[in-house]
Amino acid sequence: MQKFFSNKKLIILMVIIIVTFGLLAVSVSVRDKKQTPPVVQQVGNDVVSVVGSVFSYPTNAVKNVSSEFSDLYNTYAENRRLKSKIEDLAQNQVKLKVVQDENKKLKTELNLNSTLTDYESVNASVLTRSPSSWQNYLTINRGQTSGIKKNMPVMSGKGLIGRIIEVDKVSSKVELISTDNEINDKFAAEILDDNKTDVTGVVSRFDNSTGDLVMENVNSVKGIKKGQRVITSGLGGRTPRGLYIGKVYGIKKDNYGMTNSIYITPAAELRNFTVVTVIKSTVRGEK
Amino acid sequence: MPIKTQKIIGQVVFVMLAFYLDGLMKWSFLNNMNKSSFTIVPQLMLMALVLLTMRIDNRRTILIYGIVFGLIYDSYYFGIIGLYTILLPLILVGVDHYKFLFIKNTVGYELSIYFLALTAMQSGIYLLERLFRLTTSNFGDFITYVLGPTLLWNVVVFFILYVPLANLSDWLVKYRRESK
Repeated sequence: MQKFFSNKKLIILMVIIIVTFGLLAVSVSVRDKKQTPPVVQQVGNDVVSVVGSVFSYPTNAVKNVSSEFSDLYNTYAENRRLKSKIEDLAQNQVKLKVVQDENKKLKTELNLNSTLTDYESVNASVLTRSPSSWQNYLTINRGQTSGIKKNMPVMSGKGLIGRIIEVDKVSSKVELISTDNEINDKFAAEILDDNKTDVTGVVSRFDNSTGDLVMENVNSVKGIKKGQRVITSGLGGRTPRGLYIGKVYGIKKDNYGMTNSIYITPAAELRNFTVVTVIKSTVRGEK
Repeated sequence: MPIKTQKIIGQVVFVMLAFYLDGLMKWSFLNNMNKSSFTIVPQLMLMALVLLTMRIDNRRTILIYGIVFGLIYDSYYFGIIGLYTILLPLILVGVDHYKFLFIKNTVGYELSIYFLALTAMQSGIYLLERLFRLTTSNFGDFITYVLGPTLLWNVVVFFILYVPLANLSDWLVKYRRESK
């Protein structure tokens, strides 16, 4: 026994292994269970992110300029397409306003305070992205002080991009929907279609090879066509109803031919944006 | 301020710059989110630390750098503590242990050491993440789609940036004893 403890290198190795697994196990479980990380970690992350914003604002500016150039390139075709849509838009805006007012009045008649479709939003700009192979995280410059909580959904301009995974005081981390993670990152979704078939499911996976989102646990595939729009269904309480996810691309059966998966082309372009919107649901679901 | 403290502050600033560049490079032009079959992970901080380790003679300083920067990296980028915090000091001490084999620092030696350090780092992260179910990709996919592109990109960047970075780290580490 004495000889074993006199071997210094073995002891160091043993301690290192124990510390590694201890640290990893504790921090993984803290991340999955608790709302916020320990205070020391929060403060550390905030200091790093505040200093880092000095570098990230110029980067975002360059990024915006470069995407403006690519926009400029497509302007002519886009302009023609948009002109044809613009007449509908004015009419739809007026209609939306009238319907929203009516909806508000009916809700007060029914004494409904808030429903699944009600939400508020907070804008935040992206500071950086994790240099990691599997943890697709963005760091944004809003945190607890702006009322952000864990598990809130995050949108870019066009559609859903992910969910808040860690909240610090003035910064937080967003896990993108493209993350390959078994545990988190599932969105209750439904397919919008005119026949009112009510197809619901869970967007749970991301297909790396095609860049499609995969919706599983689908109750039926009757009447689903390519190009139909997919939105969050608001079931489960964490996400409000009516956030745009993407369009149906196709249906595939699993290996046993038992269940169907619907492949969705994400609406958010996931590449050229510098500002994101965090959605705060006004209905609190069960924790 | 004594010259030694100035040099240490310079080293810390150098490594922190590389730290921020890692994230910003991933965000600005290695940002393959829609079609992500190949993943490139920029590792400039490891590059800076390996270059410094080849020049610093004090093992304690190297160990402290590894632990502190590893902790910041884990907390800020991963949200999980234990990946870089453990692997970074281990790799740096390993480099320090075997650097007596090289009489003179040349681009070939340093490139191969950086290559080995990068391979060890990425494989270690893969093993730990696989163990804790943070990823489900299998070993073949890891080598083809992650390790290969990452090594290629980082080695090319190392080769391009070698002359300025090596001179900078020479200047940051060496100082005349008399002027202490």
